[in-house]
Amino acid sequence: MQTRFTRLAAIVAAMSLAVTACGGTQSSSPPSGSSPGVSAPASGGTSQAPAEKVTFRLTTWAGEDEAKELQEIVLDKINASQAEFEIVHEAAPADYYTKIQTALAGGAGADFLWLSQEYVAGYASRGALLDLTELLPAIDAPTAKIDRYFPDVVNTTLYQEKVYGLPWISQPVVLYYNPKLFDAAGIAYPDDTWDWDMFATQAKALTTGDQYGFSANSWPPVHMFIWQAGGEVITPDLASSPIDSPEAIAGAEFYKSLIYNKSCCPTEDVLLEQGFSEMFKAGKVAMFMGGATDTFESADGVVLDIRAAVVPKGPKSRTTFAWTGSTVVNAKVANPDLAAKALVALTDGIQHWKIVSPLTDLATADVIKASFPEKWKPQKDQQVDAILAATKDMRSFNVVPRQQEWDDLFWREFQDLLYHDKGTAADLAKAVRPKLEALLK
Amino acid sequence: MFQWYAETLVRYLLVAAAIVGVMFLTYRGLRAAGVRREPATGFALIIPWFLGFLIWNLFPVAASLYLSLTDYNVLQSPNWVGLANYQQILGSDERFWASLRLTMAYSAITVPLGLALALLAATLLNQGVRGVGLWRTLYYLPAILPVFVTALLWRLLLLPTRSGLVNSATEPIWSLFGDSPPRWFLDPDTVLWGFVIMSFWGVFGANTVIMLAGLKNIPKDLYEAAEVDGAGLLPKFRHITIPQLTPTLFYLLVMGIIAGIQVFDQGLFVKVPQENFLNVYLYQQGFTFFHMGYASAIAWVMLVIILVLTLVVFRSSTAWVYYEGEVKR
Repeated sequence: MQTRFTRLAAIVAAMSLAVTACGGTQSSSPPSGSSPGVSAPASGGTSQAPAEKVTFRLTTWAGEDEAKELQEIVLDKINASQAEFEIVHEAAPADYYTKIQTALAGGAGADFLWLSQEYVAGYASRGALLDLTELLPAIDAPTAKIDRYFPDVVNTTLYQEKVYGLPWISQPVVLYYNPKLFDAAGIAYPDDTWDWDMFATQAKALTTGDQYGFSANSWPPVHMFIWQAGGEVITPDLASSPIDSPEAIAGAEFYKSLIYNKSCCPTEDVLLEQGFSEMFKAGKVAMFMGGATDTFESADGVVLDIRAAVVPKGPKSRTTFAWTGSTVVNAKVANPDLAAKALVALTDGIQHWKIVSPLTDLATADVIKASFPEKWKPQKDQQVDAILAATKDMRSFNVVPRQQEWDDLFWREFQDLLYHDKGTAADLAKAVRPKLEALLK
Repeated sequence: MFQWYAETLVRYLLVAAAIVGVMFLTYRGLRAAGVRREPATGFALIIPWFLGFLIWNLFPVAASLYLSLTDYNVLQSPNWVGLANYQQILGSDERFWASLRLTMAYSAITVPLGLALALLAATLLNQGVRGVGLWRTLYYLPAILPVFVTALLWRLLLLPTRSGLVNSATEPIWSLFGDSPPRWFLDPDTVLWGFVIMSFWGVFGANTVIMLAGLKNIPKDLYEAAEVDGAGLLPKFRHITIPQLTPTLFYLLVMGIIAGIQVFDQGLFVKVPQENFLNVYLYQQGFTFFHMGYASAIAWVMLVIILVLTLVVFRSSTAWVYYEGEVKR
């Protein structure tokens, strides 16, 4: 029986090994020594770092191409030049926030994480991020100086007046336009003299048959138009959501007058059928609001003649929305001082790669032009002036810890209903404001 | 890269060695306690599964019950809140009730309708059709597709535009009544029906194959005896097929209720204007809003709902499920 048991045990062990080995192909685990900030032999990547280097792990949402660029343009240079640390990249392009959330909960979160602007306050308020307020001033580099950033952009990395990350991109929304459609209609190209009325009038004038003057599908965000009218969705002190103010109502009503309105824009059904940005690329939409890094090519790969202007001015300002991404540091990092230093090096590298840099010194025409591959230079070179001009008016959201709940509610009980004629902006705003403000507490 | 793999391989080997070690110690421990060789070997061999059950099933279930009584936000330690989550769910959470209504309506429609259509298809396939194996495979094929593929496919088929095959094909019919086709997943009033149609893709196929197996197991002599007595098609179906098939129907009904209330993937991959399924709401609370304690409480409420409904079906089964050889008292 003893022999029989030994045989059976051997079979079970072999099966266990087979099962675990098969399952393991899905997760190429990083080296066990690469736990946060702990010294470990370098592994992976292309550099052969000395053994005493501290390995920091960076998790991002980068897809295959973006991850390759990040490695080649940013990380390889940092790892080759730094003697104290190296940064190993772990891309998580799918279900990014679920993955980092569960990794942090399990104590296996990376040392550095990319966060979109609306997440920083939430992670900081729940104690997941390292407070960099005292660490950054000790580093002698422009990237480490918070006052060198665009104030309305760097605000997204602050929570209760403490710094929890460094932004590496701030993409202002600009007004892209197709000059051929303007020429055909005999309409002058948009410029900084355009206001809402002019914009709406010309959008209608450019609409004919299956061609439309403008396109909106909840992008660009309605917040931008509320800001341009002088309103706010969340006040800077994060204490209230005055979306029922006359200014906010004016902004929302203007947006409502455009979205899905077939006299100037494609309906929801047309957008579903033909695609949002695809219609612009196909020459069926004359004006399109997009981020500064957007590029446009036809279905057969031809770089299109698309130009850019600043967004039209509202009753109070030309404020434009800037999507901002930041890198934050895991609160459990073992070597905070070195991590801060590595964060600065990493952010500096990304700011020279991504545009527009939220660092005012790097928001220049030369840096922007240098960041684009050769293929896109003919298109982007003629857009640089508008992108630079937009940076002067760009701002990000005022973000609260429960931002995801706030956004969800603002969408379900205001925007969605407004865009589908289920109520007026004034009535909907009045009804939802108390609920929104309950989420600010 | 090789170094990573080597370390991983070593870990796997260590896990396998540890499992064998635990089995060996279990065996030796039981033997030392006077247990005979055969049962000791049996216990030692089931130890890996038992440990897996404890660690990967029982512990998470118990942990979720505990978390449902806390304000756990995933990133910080949980704080005890007692029944507050349950009170909020049952008392003031409008979204919970809206999601529950959609989920229950979905189950109430898809489960019986899915069974009826599957029974019809299985009955047709059971009429001595040539190449029944091929037909069975064809019916089952959709069931093996990943749900998200089905969801994406139906999202396209139910587009409210000319590209949407369903609306494109049925537009003439709608226009006969002076109406326009539904906007499916874009209209809160038709979201439910979009999901119902989507559900038939997989459930219909799987149920048909199981029912066909049930039909094949019905003794032919019952039909022969009925024919001798002059019974026609409908009496035979009503008095032989249905009663003989009730164990299969019972199984499919219970599984259908459980699957219907737990429906998730379809809701996750199809964006709808307002409320979604209960499981999607649970996921949103836990992973988007950081309310993992609250999400755990929703999961337990969902479990209770499933348990109650399953219990009702089980209790009612004595009245309508027929088991051969069973003695009715």
